[in-house]
Formats: sequence, C-alpha cells, structure tokens
Amino acid sequence: MPISKKKMSQASQISRSLSKQDELLNVQTQYFLKLNEIKLTRKERIKKVIYDPETKQFFGRTGTSWAKIGLFYFIFYGMLAALVAVCMWVFFQTLDPRIPKWQLDRSLIGTNPGLGFRPMPENNEESTLIWFQGSNKTSYTYWVDNILSFLDKYYVPSKIAKGNGQIKTCSHHDYPNIGEVCEVEVRHWEDCNRDQFFNYHKNSPCIFLKLNKIYGWTPEYYDDPFDLPQEMPESLKERIRKINNTRERQNVWLSCEGENPADVEYLGPVTYYPKDVQGFPGYYFPYLNSEGYLSPLMAVKFERPVSGIVINVECRAWARNIIYNRVERMGSVHFELLID
Amino acid sequence: MTSKGKLNIDEHGRSDSYRVATIPSNYDDNKTADGRPKSRRKVKKIRKADDLDDLKQELDIDYHKISPEELYQRFQTHPENGLSHAKAKENLDRDGPNALTPPKTTPEWVKFCKNLFGGFALLLWIGAILCFIAYSIQASTVEEPADDNLYLGVVLAAVVIVTGIFSYYQESKSSKIMESFKNMVPQFATVLREGEKLTLRAEDLVLGDVVEVKFGDRIPADIRIIETRGFKVDNSSLTGESEPQSRSPDFTHENPLETKNLAFFSTNAVEGTAKGVVISCGDNTVMGRIAGLASGLDTGETPIAKEIHHFIQLITGVAVFLGVTFFVIAFILGYHWLDAVIFLIGIIVANVPEGLLATVTVCLTLTAKRMASKNCLVKNLEAVETLGSTSTICSDKTGTLTQNRMTVAHMWFDNQIIEADTTEDQSGVQYDRTSPGFKALSRIATLCNRAEFKPGQDGVAILKREVNGDASEAALLKCMELALGDIMSIRRKNKKVCEIPFNSTNKYQVSVHENEDPNDPRHILVMKGAPERILERCNTIFICGKEKVLDEEMKEAFNNAYLELGGLGERVLGFCDFMMPSDKYPIGFKFNSDDANFPLDGLRFVGLMSMIDPPRAAVPDAVAKCRSAGIKVIMVTGDHPITAKAIAKSVGIISEGNETVEDIAQRLNIPVSEVNPREAKAAVVHGSDLRDLSSDQLDEILRYHTEIVFARTSPQQKLIIVEGCQRMGAIVAVTGDGVNDSPALKKADIGVAMGIAGSDVSKQAADMILLDDNFASIVTGVEEGRLIFDNLKKSIAYTLTSNIPEISPFLAFILCDIPLPLGTVTILCIDLGTDMVPAISLAYEEAESDIMKRPPRDPQNDKLVNDRLISMAYGQIGMIQAAAGFFVYFVIMAENGFLPMKLFGIRKQWDSKAVNDLTDSYGQEWTYRDRKTLEYTCHTAFFVSIVVVQWADLIICKTRRNSIVHQGMRNWALNFGLIFETALAAFLSYTPGMDKGLRMFPLKFVWWLPAIPFMLSIFIYDEVRRFYLRRCPGGWLEQETYY
Repeated sequence: MPISKKKMSQASQISRSLSKQDELLNVQTQYFLKLNEIKLTRKERIKKVIYDPETKQFFGRTGTSWAKIGLFYFIFYGMLAALVAVCMWVFFQTLDPRIPKWQLDRSLIGTNPGLGFRPMPENNEESTLIWFQGSNKTSYTYWVDNILSFLDKYYVPSKIAKGNGQIKTCSHHDYPNIGEVCEVEVRHWEDCNRDQFFNYHKNSPCIFLKLNKIYGWTPEYYDDPFDLPQEMPESLKERIRKINNTRERQNVWLSCEGENPADVEYLGPVTYYPKDVQGFPGYYFPYLNSEGYLSPLMAVKFERPVSGIVINVECRAWARNIIYNRVERMGSVHFELLID
Repeated sequence: MTSKGKLNIDEHGRSDSYRVATIPSNYDDNKTADGRPKSRRKVKKIRKADDLDDLKQELDIDYHKISPEELYQRFQTHPENGLSHAKAKENLDRDGPNALTPPKTTPEWVKFCKNLFGGFALLLWIGAILCFIAYSIQASTVEEPADDNLYLGVVLAAVVIVTGIFSYYQESKSSKIMESFKNMVPQFATVLREGEKLTLRAEDLVLGDVVEVKFGDRIPADIRIIETRGFKVDNSSLTGESEPQSRSPDFTHENPLETKNLAFFSTNAVEGTAKGVVISCGDNTVMGRIAGLASGLDTGETPIAKEIHHFIQLITGVAVFLGVTFFVIAFILGYHWLDAVIFLIGIIVANVPEGLLATVTVCLTLTAKRMASKNCLVKNLEAVETLGSTSTICSDKTGTLTQNRMTVAHMWFDNQIIEADTTEDQSGVQYDRTSPGFKALSRIATLCNRAEFKPGQDGVAILKREVNGDASEAALLKCMELALGDIMSIRRKNKKVCEIPFNSTNKYQVSVHENEDPNDPRHILVMKGAPERILERCNTIFICGKEKVLDEEMKEAFNNAYLELGGLGERVLGFCDFMMPSDKYPIGFKFNSDDANFPLDGLRFVGLMSMIDPPRAAVPDAVAKCRSAGIKVIMVTGDHPITAKAIAKSVGIISEGNETVEDIAQRLNIPVSEVNPREAKAAVVHGSDLRDLSSDQLDEILRYHTEIVFARTSPQQKLIIVEGCQRMGAIVAVTGDGVNDSPALKKADIGVAMGIAGSDVSKQAADMILLDDNFASIVTGVEEGRLIFDNLKKSIAYTLTSNIPEISPFLAFILCDIPLPLGTVTILCIDLGTDMVPAISLAYEEAESDIMKRPPRDPQNDKLVNDRLISMAYGQIGMIQAAAGFFVYFVIMAENGFLPMKLFGIRKQWDSKAVNDLTDSYGQEWTYRDRKTLEYTCHTAFFVSIVVVQWADLIICKTRRNSIVHQGMRNWALNFGLIFETALAAFLSYTPGMDKGLRMFPLKFVWWLPAIPFMLSIFIYDEVRRFYLRRCPGGWLEQETYY
C-alpha cells in the first residue's frame, strides 16, 4: 500500500524497549549511516591520514594512543629481551671458554683440516690470485706487508703468550708437556725472511702455508716409507724414505705442485723451508687451545716461476686421516700466482 | 477458475494492470542519485549503455492492438494455412533461429588467465619478476652468482601456476554441473505451414508462423493468440504471479504484458489449447529482453576479493616500507648500490607469503565442497564467503519462499475456520474429518472438480504429484485425496451426468452427479465459485449437520470468515450443493448444460475453502535464523501486496506485532498520511509507488523500516531495490527463481538461484545455486561464509607470523654482518612445506561462539586482515619466533666454536671462498666447506625452531578470544597438521641426501630444544592476552590486539 509520499517528518522517538532483534537491526542501520561521509579526494585523504586536525590524529592515532602503544611495545620487547638474555645466560653456563663444547667428529669442523696460505689478496674476498711485479716496489709491498702482519706473532711470540704459556723448543724426541707449547723457529725459513722481502723482489716469492687448527686433532702419519700413497709426489716420497728414524717421520707432509701438467712446467722448482722436514712436525699436535700456541708454518719458495702467466698452484697436506678432494678443496689449498 | 471481486481492495488490484510494474519509473540516464555515473565502464562504452537502457525500456509493440486481419497482413500469413515454406525460410535467414543468444561466455583461456593473474597471484608474479631482475643483476655483475634468487623466482612462478590451475579446475568443475542444468531436451512446436501441420524444433520458428499450443507445452515464442479453448498460462517465471492467467483472442489491455491475447516465450501452458501467430522471436521476446538486461549488467568485486585486495595493499605497504628502510640503511652502511638494490628486492620478496595464495584457495575450496554437500553449489570460489558478509537478503516470494503450488490452507464450515495442513511433508495440524459439515464440503470439492492426477505417479507423494487442470482445482484435488483417499473411485461411484464449466460471467462451476448411495435415487447438484456469487444462490446453510435458513446472522458470519481468509492473502472459493428431488429429476433425466434445465438457485450453502501458495516448511525457521544473525530479509515479489504481506507474515519477514503504516492508520482510525512513517517498523511498498519514489525516499524506506515487502515489482525495479541496498553499504544477497529475478540476481553481491524450480536464465545470472530449492540452505551458506571468514583470518594470522622469523635473518645479515641465519631454501620449506597443512587445517576449525547470533560484519571496518592482525603477527608473536630462531642460531654457532661476539662483522670472510682458514673463538680454523656446513646446519636449526614455535602459534590461532581450554583440540585436521609439520621437518633434516639437494643437515636432538622456552612463552603470552580480552571486553587490549 502506498507509503506516504510526503517528505517524511522527523521521527518522534518511540519509547519501546528494544529486543535483541531490534538491536541487531539497529547495528545494521548504523553501517548505513556511515556512508553519508563526504567523499574526499585522494590528496585530502592522504593529508587526513597523516594529520587529522579534527581528531588530532597522526597516522590514525592521537598522541596518547601512540604513547600507549609505544609503552606496550616497549614493555613487550623489554620482556622479550629479558627472556633472550636469560636463555643466553643459562646457555653460556654450559660453555667452557677454552674448550669447545663439541670437538672433532661431534663438531661440524670435523677431522679433516684444510690448509691456509699467506699472503692473501685483500679487497676482493673471492680471489686467491697473488699478483705482483718484482721490479716494482709498490706492487709487492702489499704482499710483503700482508705476510709481515701475519708473521708478527711468530717474530714476537711474547705478544700472545701472556706469561702462563711455556714456550719450548720441541723435537721428535721431546714432545711438549701439558701447558707447554712448541716454538716455531723463524730462522728456519732461511731465505724467506722479512729482511729479504720474502724474495718477492726477486720474483721468486715465498708463500707461507699452515695446517688448520682443529681442537684435539692428532694426525695419523705416513711414517712407513714402504706404505706411501701412490699419488704422493715422487720427490716427497724420496725425502720421506731418506729419513731413517721412524719417529722423525711422524710429520704431516706437505707438497706444492702446479695443478695441471702445464702449471707444473711454468711453476719450476720449489724449495720448502724449514729444510729438514717437508711438512709439519708431529709434536705440534694436537692443538689444545693452549696459551701461546702457534701453528707450525712452511715457507714454500717458488724459485723461477714463468712470468706473465697465471699459474695454478695446489698445496696438499699428507696424513692418513686427511682426506683429499680437489673439487671440495679438502686437505689442500689452491692459489694462483701471476708475476709480471 | 478464479475468484475475484471483493478482494480487489487494493487500488492496483489483481485485475488491474501489470503496467505499473513494467514501465520504468524514469528514464535511466545512467546516473546515480547524486549525479555520478553509475559506473565508469558504462560511460566509456556508451553504445553498450544505450543497449542496456534500451532493454530497460518499456516493451513497445502494437501486435496485440491491431486486428487479426492486419496481423496476418503484416506477417503475410494465414490463420488456416500459415506461412509458405519460402517465406518461412526467408524469415529464418533474415532473423536467425528462434533462440536466446547464450550470454557471452568468457573464453576458457580468459577464465584461466583470471585465475592465473587475479588478485593475490599478481603479487606473487611481481615477486617472481623482482627475483629474476635481482638474479640478472647478480648474473651480470658476479661471475658465479648465487642461484637463490633464480630458484625463488622459479618457485614463486610455479606456485602461482599450480594454484591457478587448481582453482581453474575447481571452477570448471562447478561450471560443468551448471552445464548439466541446461535443458538439453529440444523443444518442439506444432506449426502450420502451407496448410500442413508440422512439428518443428522451436528454434526453427519464424515471425508470422501460426503455432498450436496445448497444456503442458512451453510457449515457443511470443505469440498473439487467435483461437483458444480454456487456455491458461503460468507467467510466474516472468512476472512472479503465482496464479495461472487465462488467455483469449480479445485485446483487453494496452500493456502487452497484461493483455489477454499475448502469450510469452518460455512460459508454460497449464490448461487448454490455443492457436497463435508468432510476433517476436529469440532475443526480441520479453524473456529475451530481460535475459539481455541481466547479462548486460556488470557485477562488482566480491567482498572477499575486496578483502584480499586490501590485504595485498597492506602487505605491499609493509614490504615496501621495510625494503626502502633497509635500502637506505644498506646505503648508509656503505654497501654498493647494486647490492643495496638486491637487498631491497630480497626484502620485498621475503615479505610475500608464498604459501598464502594456495592456502586461501584450498580453504575456500574446502568450504565450497562442504557447501556443495549441503546442496549449495557455488559457481565462483570467491562467492563462498559472500553469504557470510551479507547484511541484506532480497528474496523473491514465488518458488523461493513458497512452494509455487496452490494448496488448501483453510476451510470454513460449521461456522468455524479450520486450518488445513500446508506443509510439504504433512507434518502440520490435523483436523476432524468426520463432521457432517466436512463430509458435505469434501463431496462438493471432490465432485465439482475437473482436475486429475497425471498417470504414472503412484510412488510420488500426493502433494508433489503433477495434475492436469487449474491450480486451485488441483489444490482441492490434492486436499481431498489426502483427506478421503482414492478420489477417482469416489468420482466413478458418483457418476457425473451434467456439467457447466466455469466462465467469467457466471463465476461458478456446477455439475450434477448420481448418488453413490443406491437407496437414494436423488441426484446431487454441486457448485463452487466466487463466494459472494455462490451465497447469492443459496437459501439455506448447512451447519453442524442441520440445514438452517440463511439469515442475516449467518450472512454476517459468512462475511467475517470471507474477509478473514481474504485478509490472509488467500484465494477463497464458496461451495454449495443441492439434493435434487427424485420426483422431478429421476434417474435417467436428461440434463442440459447449455440451457440449464435444473435449479441453480435456492441451494444449500456448505462452506468456504481458501487456497494459498504456502511457504516452504523450512522458510520461517530460516528467516528467523537470518534475522537473529542480524540480516535484514526483504521480500521483493511480482505478486500482489496482500498475498505478499500474508506470506511475509507467515514466514516471519514481517514479525508478529509489527505494523505497517496502513495497519497503524487502520488501528487508530486515521488517514494514512497522518501516521508517522517512522513509527511503523514494517512496510509494504507497491511497485507503482516505488515508481514515484526518488532514490532518497527509497533510501529512507530501506533505512527506517526493518521489515519491508516490495510487491508488484518489475525486473527493473528489483534491480533498483538491490542497487538501493548496495548504495546504503549493505552487502546484498538476492534469491530468486524466475526470469524476472535474473537482473537483480546478477546485480546482487551474491545471487542465489533455485536448482530445481529455477529458470535457466536465473541460474546463469546467479553465483550460487540451491540444488534442493531449500531456502534454509541459505542459512548454511551464511554460517559457512562467516566461519570461513573467521578461519581465513586465523589462517592468515598463522601464516603471516612466520614471515618475521623469515625476514629478520636477512636483515641481521645486512645490518650485523653475521653469517646468514636462514636461507631461501629453508624459507620456502616453511612457506610451502611445513606451514601449509596447519594453515589449511584452520579451515576446519569450529566456530568460537554462535556465529549466527552476531550481526554481519561491517564491510567498511571489519577487514579480513587489519592492522591489529599485522601488529599481532609481525610485532608480537613473530618477534618471539624470531628471537627463538636467533637463539638457536647462536647456540649452534657457539657450541661449534663461534661465540656470538665473534660473528658480528665476520660475514665477508665467512662467505669468501678464498678464505680457507677462518679462525673461531677457540682458535680453530675452518675451511670454507666446513663453515658452510655449519651455516646450513644453522639454517636447518633455524627452520626447525620456526616449526617448533609454529606449534604454539597454530594452537593460539585456533581461537581469537576463547581460551584453548574452551575450544579444545578436537580439530583432527589441525592435530594432524601439528604432527605433519614436525614429521616433515624431521624428514627434511635427517633424510640422507638432503645436504646435497636442499642443503639441510641433520641436527643433534638438543638443537630442537632451545626454541621450546619461546614456544611456551608464545602460548602463555597469548593465553594471558585472551584472558584479558575476555575479562575486559572493549578494553584497550581488545582495541589494539583483537583481530
């Protein structure tokens, strides 16, 4: 039937108790009313979001509201930080500052030490290229300085051994006792010394090699001259065979060669220092994080590398429990040499 | 057999025109009330808008006005011979086949592309493209670029494609079911051509064809009737009128829809036969025009699509904010600008929740499946949620709320009104069937009735059987069959000897029968018809087994009963009988029906019976449920106001005690204009009034009346009502079955069509189909929709939380120069692996409280993902998770030798392949390979710790307000999810070969444990938070953290 077409007059409020149903429907009417808001332009809307002068809201919140939520998050993150701190503290109670919690096979470092070399190129972490010009001092100074900074503690061992560590001159017949560390004799590197700029100026550079320290790792030596691996270079085999004393054969042997036959040719003869042992003597092992411990170093001098060409060099450590894999660079190290 | 007359109280009574409903109120200038264009698209495509406006125009034809001769002339046809074959062929070539142009179906590849690039997928595509850009930058600057960005890009693309294919498959499955609805049985028509009667396929009909139609047929085209025999058509699907309309060759009305000499395409002939000339075919038919109007409308985004849109905006905002912030920081820290760009892209991409698209799709699919099993078929996956957000339901009456089947509702005999059972399953009230009054009444109703059951329906319930004959006679037949049993044998025993069928001048039907009692030789005369006409012919009235003189008192009682039944919107018939004296009319007397040689006056009045198209049994309950869920239910019907109001009252759309303006006026005895319209909660609005209302006035009606019935509305007006509701910010569901509903169905946010009774056009336009025609399924739909909305919130909260522990490692990597704590591969393992099943399992979560007792969500403010959800997920729970991850990272690093302080600033050397001897805190030296093993172990452990804290996250996401103690752990899908993610994490960590494939390494058992305190604190923190939510409803904590 016809709804009054007259303009509907203002309603007098009906005094009628609202049922649940009416309440629900009233809620709905409210939704409708919100749509009466005037549509704003995009710019006005953005302005209103940033600051609404009517409600004094910055980004949808008043100052008090920001303060409240800020305080809430401050407390929340405070509590979270406290939780982390407590967990960390409890965890650190289980650690020993000198002995790693997990060692050797139980740790992810494993039992297969790699090799490290010095000098190392800088500024470009991905590169292993040693590139210099023997006749140009500025060119090789970087490499010499790099070695020097590494060898600093070898030249002045007292810098790290702060009193407690007993430095001892060890030999195959005189292993260190607990608390003692073996000395690394700088003089044994002979030609490869700082005064001769490690021979870089002569275009026959010295590269220092070291076996990675692994806590508690003891090598199993190739100490039987008749049981040497096939792929071991003949020169090394010969050197091992020349040593008569079994105890003195207890070394982790080291060899450096060109990676490919051509590289071998370009690389030319190699001299190892210290001269008496081509490797790392057994008395330096195991590494037990003792004060003043220094890794044994080998200095490898490339006597006459061909210049103007990149030579791939691979140095390899030999022990029964060092597994070698060229692709994974296990038990070995790789670097390139380029002499202009 | 219709009874009219007294009931035409309404100024636009039944006999009046349908014109009011079909003439558009004002020319649609494609502007909304405030003068804005209705849609931009329409403005751009003016031609299209014109077409649409054309369709909204009044049907302007004169075929019904001109004389038959002129008609034949115009079509060069002949009433006896029909068209010539040549002419028919010519017309067919000119006009094309007589079929509706199928609505433009979107090509399959477009549908596929929509699934592939729509909404959320777009975000992932952008992420993938950014990854490829980052990779190509890296590839062009670094010799051996990290493949991470390439992998990530490929995985993102793969995720989008797989999810796209999945949802496309789902949608095509439901559209296949849709296909099956299409009426595959070809329609045939009997046509006269060159004097020959041919049976042709309906498509081959042309203008000017002379066709013959008989009851049971579908009208094959719009035809002008030239010959009829008791012909009636059911126009309900076109106009919503539940009563069959009689048709004759006479021109009775200007309006083509109202005149009696036109019958329309796709309506059904229910009675009699007719012959007519085809005046319009295919898309030009009335039906075709409405269908065209429906398919021309464009529908907006679904609410869930809007929500996802909003979510993407929010996520993108956070991603870009973080990305740019750290881009600037990276710049300040002195990174190369290309690195900074890579970081920027990395951070933006890390913010993309890779698994969420799949999660949302699967959740919606699960709900769609669940609804399909409850007979709600959803055509479009996104429509699953729409019913849940619905705040207004505009329901058609005929066939949706009602059974679309006339049924005897009341009887008046022995001076009392008896209620008959109208329920579909006869579960309603029973009445006394032994009183003499009922016996007499039932005898008349049985005998004075030409309707018969169609044969071969023995197994079918009586009310559902199909009947040959008029709807009200069918109603009587069914009522009597229920009350007395085998009607046909009763009729055989009382042999009909004479009959005068109903005609519009007499307004009665009479028949004479032999008496079944062999001892009584008297004939029985039975008559039924318009009550006032019947009463005029009676002298006595049969009350309580006694014949009484029909005095004024009895007439008063009759009038009251008649008014009461009429007021219920029911169609009332009067019944009387007369035992003919055997001396005057002995057995074998020749009765003459043409020239009645028997008495038609001085009869005995027996009673009244009234019929209505009763509401479906489940409807009142469903309406009540909808209303208690805060959903406004509006009835929009093409039927008459009285009937509409009666049905509205009986199903609860107008609740008891609520009055319309007219009711108030009647009660207070004042003119309608003096009543304050705001005092009336209910309103019944007539289509003709609607035409005169401005859209502001319509808004006022929609706003201030909670219970509204729109009667006598045209398809266009239904559309206007839906648009009005939408303008008010409501999300509108429209239910309907007829062609006249289809434009509204299309325009609604969700159109719900009836699967059995619904017309093809309505099903095409709808988004959801109730396979069992049960309105109550809508309640299921609302419930499922609301539930999935809540559960999607939970699911998203769960998924987003792990974003923080995924992004923060990368940020720490940039800011603190520590080795990367969590890699891309492990992030993907979380997002697409361990998080997937638990996130999906949240779709199975039970509702926390009665979701049908709360108001519908406010589409403006109650968002799927709001800042509170982000604040909770990112700012609070995510941060605890990140702390857990970092703690595990530092524990593993420290236990292996790298104490936390050592790690800061170590990144460059750590990631350098050249450094083969990196020293740790214990002086051990690490090769590159060993370091990376350590790093990847940390990734694995970080991953595992995220899984551990996600246990707690999953459990807290089960509820938003309740305690887990209330909610319980009965969601077995979720419990499975917990076990699944743990098992998957263990599998990824411990399976041999994973170190090569995914760079995941086996963990020591103790490395699972450091995350546990954080897991517990997440659980405790959230339980405490929810405890305060429950204790201080509406408090500050709720405003800030209740998502």
